[in-house]
Amino acid sequence: MIRSEQSIVEYDFQNRIVVPDRLRRASDADYVPAAEQLLRIYRGGIGRPRQDLHRAVESCLSQLGACPPRRIAAFCKLLDDQSEYDSKRRTAFELRRKLFDAAADFHPIVQHREGIFEHELHDVRTKVAESIGRPWSEIEADLFADVLELQRLKSFDRELSALDLLSCYNLAQTQAALYKATRIRIDATQDLKTIIKHAKLAGLMHRIDIEDHQGTRRFRFLFDGPQASLRESTRYGARFAALVPKLLSCRGWKLSAEVLGPRGQRFLMRLSPGDGLRSPLAAPEDFDSSLESEIDAAWHAAPVDGWAWQRESELLMIGQTVMTPDFTLTHQQRDILVYVEVVGYWTPEYLQEKRLRLQRFTTSKITSTARETTVRWLLIVADRLKPEQQRQLADLQIPIVCFDKKSKPSDWIDALDLESV
Amino acid sequence: MPEPQNAIARVDFHQGTLRLFGVTHRFVEQVLQSVPMVWDDREDCFRSDAMFAPAIKEHLENALAGRFDWQVGRDAAAEDFDGVSIRDRRTIKLREDQIEAVNAFTEGGGRGLIVMPTGTGKTVVAIELMVRLGCSTLIVVPVRDLMYQWHSKILEASGIDAGLIGDGVHRVSPISVTTYDSAAIHMPRIGDRFQLVIFDEVHHLSGAWRRDSARMSIAQYRLGLTATLPDSAERLAVLHQLVGPTLYQQTITDAAGEALADYSVHRIAVRLSDEEQERYRDLGRVIQQFVADQRDIDPQFRWDDTYGLSAATKEDPERAQAAIAAMRAFRMKRQIEEHADAKMRILEDLFRLHYDEPVIVFTGSNVMARKLSTRFMVPCLLSHCGKRERRHWLEGFAEGHYRVLVANRVLDEGVDLPEVKTAIVLGGLSSQRQAIQRLGRVLRKGSGGRRAKLYEVVVEDTNEVTRSRDRRRNEAYRKKK
Repeated sequence: MIRSEQSIVEYDFQNRIVVPDRLRRASDADYVPAAEQLLRIYRGGIGRPRQDLHRAVESCLSQLGACPPRRIAAFCKLLDDQSEYDSKRRTAFELRRKLFDAAADFHPIVQHREGIFEHELHDVRTKVAESIGRPWSEIEADLFADVLELQRLKSFDRELSALDLLSCYNLAQTQAALYKATRIRIDATQDLKTIIKHAKLAGLMHRIDIEDHQGTRRFRFLFDGPQASLRESTRYGARFAALVPKLLSCRGWKLSAEVLGPRGQRFLMRLSPGDGLRSPLAAPEDFDSSLESEIDAAWHAAPVDGWAWQRESELLMIGQTVMTPDFTLTHQQRDILVYVEVVGYWTPEYLQEKRLRLQRFTTSKITSTARETTVRWLLIVADRLKPEQQRQLADLQIPIVCFDKKSKPSDWIDALDLESV
Repeated sequence: MPEPQNAIARVDFHQGTLRLFGVTHRFVEQVLQSVPMVWDDREDCFRSDAMFAPAIKEHLENALAGRFDWQVGRDAAAEDFDGVSIRDRRTIKLREDQIEAVNAFTEGGGRGLIVMPTGTGKTVVAIELMVRLGCSTLIVVPVRDLMYQWHSKILEASGIDAGLIGDGVHRVSPISVTTYDSAAIHMPRIGDRFQLVIFDEVHHLSGAWRRDSARMSIAQYRLGLTATLPDSAERLAVLHQLVGPTLYQQTITDAAGEALADYSVHRIAVRLSDEEQERYRDLGRVIQQFVADQRDIDPQFRWDDTYGLSAATKEDPERAQAAIAAMRAFRMKRQIEEHADAKMRILEDLFRLHYDEPVIVFTGSNVMARKLSTRFMVPCLLSHCGKRERRHWLEGFAEGHYRVLVANRVLDEGVDLPEVKTAIVLGGLSSQRQAIQRLGRVLRKGSGGRRAKLYEVVVEDTNEVTRSRDRRRNEAYRKKK
């Protein structure tokens, strides 16, 4: 992500719309060779100080006509994000200490000596270089090598392509436009769980409405934070931005953001898969815990006939409280849906909170997209879970199975006790 | 008295806000009408800024006679939250004006601003209040250096190793120090942990984002310290609302003579070299030409519009490019002013003149500070310095081992420097506030009684002279007779 001072947006005052800066294949074709050049600067720039690299980036991009300083700064930031610099923290301080100690007795150091207490610059340089045991030119070059802009490049990403870099830029500008957003709205028909999960991970609060939209059920999420009910605040802007790369991996969504523009005026920003943004650096989707991935693997190793196993496919609601079971099991012929929740080892507070939540969702009327007639719950707990903790969960009165390496999915189905259905 | 809806009203702290559960709208209207609260349907509760916690608690106590569940501050390691025993290890005695300030704060209800010039011992006043109140305390400061300075002062006064939040450290303890930016970021999680918040250089609090560090805290006691209240009435009103009224005020003229040393100002104007002058004029012409061209297009054009124009690369690439070039010329002009060769020669002469005493040099940029440090082989205090390095230079300077210390704005506000009688300010971009605070560094009361000297080195016939003139109009710069 880039800093807000590197953000470029265009305000359409007529329609109250804000559009983040975007480089396009057709109109900005000359940026592709430029990006290749930038990558060459960094890949060939191991050992060069950061400010030299930034100057090289500036002179490269300045040749492209009107390249705004913010765009140049943004590219520097994105390239630095893929770099490792040598911080030299200790050695530079040691060198300074040696130099200033060695020079302390020569103060004042002047160009041409006039008084008896003075020392000439040239002589002092020779003397201190001798006492430190390095030539003056080296001392001068390394004296502040720990300062951010003088740190030297140690390594740079090998994989990134020119097109990746340009995608990173477009994504970063879109994210930065959201730094000034006060709230975002996402209309979604698919991947609901991913959206709500990452919004929660980003520490956002939600308000959800379900509406029928052209025959399909559509969820409307409004995301902001606690303070939003008291005043308009851009406090949560960086969290909205953090959500964008995850959103890009989803399908069937539309985002609109309320953004504060000049003089506190409100603008609208829109984003959807149709914009074609891409997140080259997005990490592959992973599980909440290793336990979940083990359970998932156990099912796939020995699936039970007639049952379909899915990850995080349902979003359950009671009022504004949501829950997303870790897995679902469905048996189409028998019209049965089972919500499977995994409980790993956690703190007592977490367990208590999980128990209360489960209690509420297993006993109340819930809103969901499910259409099956018979709905059951199944709890899979880690065998590492202490017996007294397991007992705490027992009064939920839902089937519990213990998961270990020998655990068989057919036992899970048996535990559901579905004979009567 | 109206009954709350449920049997038990419950209040908790939620990310810098308070949630009130289990009461009716009618109850809130009647009992809590003086507190700004809103209904939040996302969680079926009422919500307010955490700063209203003391008021809400008081109203609930009056209305419900203790029959409510107060879960605010429960994460705060409760025993530490209410009472922190601060052992008094101080050896200094407070001056009369410092005692006046302490009393004004206590009598004013423990919420408000104390205005005292730099160098008059605001920290002494704050530590006295911490000892008297004996409760969990968070100190909020503008820069990291001040954070470490407060840490060591607290250690000295009480033996307490205070927590630090910021500069890559996150150690929260009942007495902690943090920066404004870290406070604004972390307050949603730590806002319920402190009963007293001290805002050092409180004028920094009035920025839109930083206000959250006061709003999101439940602290009952709030102390704001500053040398200069903001000029804008609106910003002052914000401080009054978030911290409290101005309870004590001492001006620099009150303090001079008593707490501060006498001082004189010497301005030294240097000339640009011929080559510098030529480059300077060329750049000036680029800017003039640009402004003239823009006025042809738009008679209302002002230089301030340049920045906005430089971003319009899509709509008007030619004008944008001209704006970018003009801005670059402007920056280079400033650089010529700042790095003028003549300044180096003047510094050489001033170091000659004061070779046997400690001298502090203030520069306008880090680059200039490093340049001086390399040229004269003297330490500079910059933001990259770690805690250990900083201490090393300051101690060496105090002992007289290093004769010169170079500093940039990092040291502008409140950071304690060893006592000096001579300081040099190299023309930078100083606002009025900066000038006053800078001056404070050299005004510390010494034992010798010799007048402190402040040299200002500026470039003649450039903007720098104008800026210096502006500065000298200020009261603090008027020469003493």
